[in-house]
Amino acid sequence: MFFNGNDVQQFQTQKDFIDTALVPLLFLEFDDARIRQSSSATDFLMSLTAFVEQQFKGRLMLVPPFSYTNQTKDGLAVNLLKEELQSTGFKYVIFITTDHTWTSHSEQLDVIWLPPIPLESMDKGVKKTVLEEQLKQIIPVLTSKWY
Amino acid sequence: MSNNRVSRRQFLNYTLTGVGGFMAAGILMPMVRFAIDPALQTKAEGDFVQTSQKVADITEEPVKVDFSYEQVDAWYTSEVTDTAWVYKSGDSIVALSPVCKHLGCTVNWNSDTEHPNQFFCACHGGRYEKTGKNVPGTPPLGPLDAYEVSEKDGFLLLGKKIANNLA
Repeated sequence: MFFNGNDVQQFQTQKDFIDTALVPLLFLEFDDARIRQSSSATDFLMSLTAFVEQQFKGRLMLVPPFSYTNQTKDGLAVNLLKEELQSTGFKYVIFITTDHTWTSHSEQLDVIWLPPIPLESMDKGVKKTVLEEQLKQIIPVLTSKWY
Repeated sequence: MSNNRVSRRQFLNYTLTGVGGFMAAGILMPMVRFAIDPALQTKAEGDFVQTSQKVADITEEPVKVDFSYEQVDAWYTSEVTDTAWVYKSGDSIVALSPVCKHLGCTVNWNSDTEHPNQFFCACHGGRYEKTGKNVPGTPPLGPLDAYEVSEKDGFLLLGKKIANNLA
């Protein structure tokens, strides 16, 4: 499910089945030295989460990404966000990011950290294989929560 | 000088009918054109999409076949990649849509070790037989959709999605 009118309507009637929220955490950097890597990682994370959504449409909702920069990161109350999503009815709230600093939060949060892979130079076929490989890393994490 | 002179009345009759006829035609022609336009519209070249799957290579074992087509969403054109599970059943080729009829997850062939040779949906444990028929007692309420199948130069073409009417 995406966070849009149609899908949310379906979510409201099927809350028993759609019990997982997938929240991308996007680290944006704008200085000249880092902006390229940051945008590439963003592209990677967005493509990957859209692919995960396609595979698990009926079980998880892909929440719009929460973005932050170095300066604004402290303002991101991820724990509160998690609680809020849980009170909406999501049993599992899983964060996904390419920023490794989140791995230190892994005690309180379910964080999937992935090293970003630059997709921009790949053609369609290769891109698809790469994303499929990455998806294989994510599936066990999800199913271990579910079953 | 001819003998049958055209009277003023006749002259006016002719010219008025002529001009009136042109005006009527000018109004009616576009209307008629609009009315029959849908019938004249040329169909966009087939509804079939080429895949890279050779028909000769298709076996009884379902394989994943990717195919992509352009989708126009208002001003935004994007290339959509879809997949189908394709296998041979007797002499005919079956192409099933991988979209679970429960809540739209993607199903996989033979991915559940407890129930081999079935399509399995990892989201809520929905299962389908090889024909696409949903296994009773699992969440899906209907069989998997199928694709129209065709062949061109030895390659598989996939067409419209059709609802499966397995009993």
